Amino acid sequence: MSFTVDLRRIPAWVWAGVVLAAVLVGLGLVSRPQAIDGGIYIQNAVIAGKNTAQGAIKNVVLPHVWDDEKPPWEGVARYRLVLPEAQNLPVGKSLSLYMPRVGARYRVWLSGQLIASEHWETPGYVDTSVVPQIVALPPALLHERLAENVIEIEVKGQLLRKSGLSQVVLGDAVVLQARHARVNAWQVQATWMVGAASLLVALLCGLMWLQNKDKVFGLLAAASSAWALRLFLTPLVNPFMPFELWFYLHKLSFTVYCGFLYLFLWEVFEFKQGLAKRLIIALLWIAPIWLGITTLTENYNLYRIWTGIVTMISVITLLLMFQRARWGLDGNQRLMVVVGLATMITGVRDFLVVQLGFPGDGDIRWMTLGSLVFMLTLAWVMVQRTSAYMQKMGDQKLELEARVAQKEAELRQAFESLREAEKRQVLETERERLTRDMHDGLGSQLVQTLNLVRAQPSNHPKQLEAMLGHALEELRMTLDSLEPMEGDLPAILGTLRQRISPTLEAAGIELDWQVEEVPAVAVNGQPMEPRAVMQLFRALQEIFANIVKHSRASKVTVRTWHDTPHVFLSVADNGVGLGAGSREGGRGMDNLRGRAAALGAELILESPVNDGNEKVQGTAVKLRFDSL
Amino acid sequence: MQTSLYLIEDDPSIHEFLRRALTQRPEWRLVGSSSSFAHAQNHAAAAAASVYLVDLGLPDGRGEELLRQLSRSNPSAELLVFTVFGDESRLIGAIEAGATGYVLKGCTTSELIEAIEQIQEGGAPISALLARLLLKRFRGVQDSHPSPLEATQAETILSDRETDVLKLLAQGYVTKEIARKLNISSHTVGSHIKNLYRKLSAHTRVQVVKIAQERGLV
Repeated sequence: MSFTVDLRRIPAWVWAGVVLAAVLVGLGLVSRPQAIDGGIYIQNAVIAGKNTAQGAIKNVVLPHVWDDEKPPWEGVARYRLVLPEAQNLPVGKSLSLYMPRVGARYRVWLSGQLIASEHWETPGYVDTSVVPQIVALPPALLHERLAENVIEIEVKGQLLRKSGLSQVVLGDAVVLQARHARVNAWQVQATWMVGAASLLVALLCGLMWLQNKDKVFGLLAAASSAWALRLFLTPLVNPFMPFELWFYLHKLSFTVYCGFLYLFLWEVFEFKQGLAKRLIIALLWIAPIWLGITTLTENYNLYRIWTGIVTMISVITLLLMFQRARWGLDGNQRLMVVVGLATMITGVRDFLVVQLGFPGDGDIRWMTLGSLVFMLTLAWVMVQRTSAYMQKMGDQKLELEARVAQKEAELRQAFESLREAEKRQVLETERERLTRDMHDGLGSQLVQTLNLVRAQPSNHPKQLEAMLGHALEELRMTLDSLEPMEGDLPAILGTLRQRISPTLEAAGIELDWQVEEVPAVAVNGQPMEPRAVMQLFRALQEIFANIVKHSRASKVTVRTWHDTPHVFLSVADNGVGLGAGSREGGRGMDNLRGRAAALGAELILESPVNDGNEKVQGTAVKLRFDSL
Repeated sequence: MQTSLYLIEDDPSIHEFLRRALTQRPEWRLVGSSSSFAHAQNHAAAAAASVYLVDLGLPDGRGEELLRQLSRSNPSAELLVFTVFGDESRLIGAIEAGATGYVLKGCTTSELIEAIEQIQEGGAPISALLARLLLKRFRGVQDSHPSPLEATQAETILSDRETDVLKLLAQGYVTKEIARKLNISSHTVGSHIKNLYRKLSAHTRVQVVKIAQERGLV
């Protein structure tokens, strides 16, 4: 158990460092300097023929690089290998010639006989020097004494491609073929494998970039795809394209790779916007033009300057990375420093062994594998970054949910308090109404009574009784209005009838009750509230009071009917009508209109009354309500 | 049968009012009175009056409880509620407790005599609002007992004629008008109303018993 826990506690950069160290040691063992068994190393040649006017026949030391000549060699040259004296060839063995690097095109002559021709006449651009070459020596043409053989290698060069001839090994065909296969695997298959891995990283990062718009992913995607293109182009003997195009793409892809990789590092290490970053961006913009000019002018110096600039920026970036390390690095940044260092070691090693001849197998390049590890590490860092991003998104989502819940609770609370306030408001309104009714009705009745009693005690027993009776009726009406009537107009009228019928009876007015069941009455679209019931009571009271006081009628007809969506109430008398007196404009009428408006009802006055077809003497007060 | 009255009321002015009213009917007898709930509990039933006048707001107890006791101990007696306002919500509780009518305090002595005579002749006072409430109450009962097969329930539920009477009452029509509209005598209308009172309290009693049975109390 503790084993697992301990493993997990080790930071990625530590175990990556350990693994990389092991890989470097393994590579060192695999490519340690070892001579090919039984191989004869040929390190000198004589230029036997050259179609240029650039010099006489001369001896050269292998490897011989045309671009290093001043001025660089072009065209065709024939090397005659300088074979060691006093050495016999092994008997009974097939022999081969192994050339780690030769080209761009070459032919091999043995004792004046053409024994191999690689792409000598192929049109367009080819470069055999990117892969190791092996040529079988026909036994029939060989002298037993080595020095008596004449081996000539004719080379057709390609400017800017370091054309020429490397050391040549003559030896047992079986041993050399094994060697050729191994180096081929390192130089071709491994390169394409790393190229495919880079392409995969590029695709994944590109997808992530489209997904989350984090530009770090876009930078790494650009760098990886440039690197994949570069690796794909590198071991191509016959790329089926003009040399200029191949050269342009090959160099440009390297610059683009470097540029975007540094921008990527800038982001990951959270550098501030600085001069170096501007330099890199400038580099990316200038590269296509500079390299275009280089390609068109075939000026290798321009390319050397360019390589120098790229190298300088690399050094600056590395220095900045180490400077940044002084402020402390997080796990991913440390991991990248470790892997970057290891990759750099592979590059430096290749440079030292291949270019400067340090001990080591120059045919086995470490850089290819180093760049794979570097690429995978970058991908790993990106995965970490993505998962951190997703974690952050998850956290944000949770936080957001919590905030939404909190807001909801606040809203609910606000709503509750609003409802409470509304409830209080309703209660307050009702209290005000009751108070007002008590004041206007019961209160004033009682005050009148009191004043009467005080003024002339015991002189007005009848009046006193009537006033007290009124007071009680007022109170009863107020209480009735509080009963749940639900806009039931007949019930409201029935309740009022009890209050008014004694008065009508006393005035000798007959009451003709023609009330029908009608739909519930609405006030402004709402069910009738006690306040509205009280308004209706008072309105009807006034109508009846008018009739009793002014109409001189003998009969009152109360009717209800409905004509969807309206409910009608009519109180009609057979009295003197409106025209005769001045009932219309009185204060009573104004009151009535006000109450009708408060009820959301329409007040219609008719005098004389329309009774079917004929007009009848009297007055009709109609109220038109909305039904619920 | 001689009319004997019993007054349960804490307001002395009402006692005075009743005494004045009785001068109009010398043959009626006031057999007793209580001014508290406790006194009424001990003496009212034993007085065996034909009409009880009961105030709902006694100082030491609820008039409804007295109505409930009296309707059980003196089932043939008329129980008239004496109330100031005649507010229907309160009255309906009294009717359920067993009241067979109500009289408004503040009425004239002749109105009181009229109410007592009306109730003894088989009528009952009722307002439009009260009728409306009764109608709603009975509809509620009918809706909650849709099966007519339940014998005990069937007799507590309204007949068609009783429903008609209640509806007209709720629309504000008076006994005389209802009699004319339904082609029956005013007296029949009165007895319909009285039946409605009885049915409401009977229904309530049945329900009380039923609830008690369900809870295992009886």
